[in-house]
Amino acid sequence: MLGWIGAQLPWWVAGPGVGCCVVALYGLINARLGVSGAWLATIAPVEGWRPDPWRRTFLLALVVGSAIAAVLGPTVHVHGYGRLSEVLPTPVLVVVLLLAGVALGYGSRWAGGCTSGHGMSGCAAGSPDSFATTVSFFSVAVLVTLGLHWLTGGLL
Amino acid sequence: MSRGVRWSALCIGATFGFLLTASGLGDYHTIHDGLLLENPYIFLMMGSAMAVAFAGLAVLRRIGRTRYAGRLALPHSRIERRHVYGGAVFGLGFGVGATCPGMAVAMTTTGGLLGFVVLVGLLGGLWLRGRIERRQRQPLSTEPTPPVAGPVPAARP
Repeated sequence: MLGWIGAQLPWWVAGPGVGCCVVALYGLINARLGVSGAWLATIAPVEGWRPDPWRRTFLLALVVGSAIAAVLGPTVHVHGYGRLSEVLPTPVLVVVLLLAGVALGYGSRWAGGCTSGHGMSGCAAGSPDSFATTVSFFSVAVLVTLGLHWLTGGLL
Repeated sequence: MSRGVRWSALCIGATFGFLLTASGLGDYHTIHDGLLLENPYIFLMMGSAMAVAFAGLAVLRRIGRTRYAGRLALPHSRIERRHVYGGAVFGLGFGVGATCPGMAVAMTTTGGLLGFVVLVGLLGGLWLRGRIERRQRQPLSTEPTPPVAGPVPAARP
């Protein structure tokens, strides 16, 4: 909004910064940084178990940090969903996105982590299950994206 | 939760959320073009994050203990089918929506309000998997798999 930072930090700032977050969380509280685990903590009361208390704090802080970046960054305007909203009418798009979200949630709980938990923190720690999950989701995501691109004649 | 743990989660969570957003990962096109293999940004970012984390963890392993939680125990688990299958289902959502549980937050705060729809779906998906595990009488995955104190070369004399 204020335009103090650009739309995209260089990868050699953002990447190492995120890497430091991973190391710091291990080094301070011995925990694997993972966002799906933080979301899971929010539905724990529905399922009747107690999550690690730091997870909700982490999620709240993540939302605040993200909002701060949005305020300091370029002007925020409400927008659609990239090329997906040019191809699909809004009601269909909402259903598709809801289902994509379900796949993200279902898959991350099944595998025990997401892009951050397995993809970065687990892989950096050299855990074999994280390598397997990361290879699996990245290859499927690339194949799905290339497949949709091909099927829609380059529209997506 | 001790003060140290709370402040750690607060500071690291805020920094992480800031970086995800300021690096444009909340933008559909950043991820979509990356997955189309047309823009290397996400791979460079993730690769450099992993390299830095790997180096940092090498130092941590030498130290062998953490500030607020005793001895360091990094996760180390063997591969099971669920990692491949779960990863594939996750990849389907990742490919179609060009977002993930963290990036959807960045998308929403930067004005992509449909990211909120993804987040609602995400909670539904987490719940659905829990329901199925309960049906199968499996112990419920509470994803923060506690760091397995496995064969980790933690404390080197």
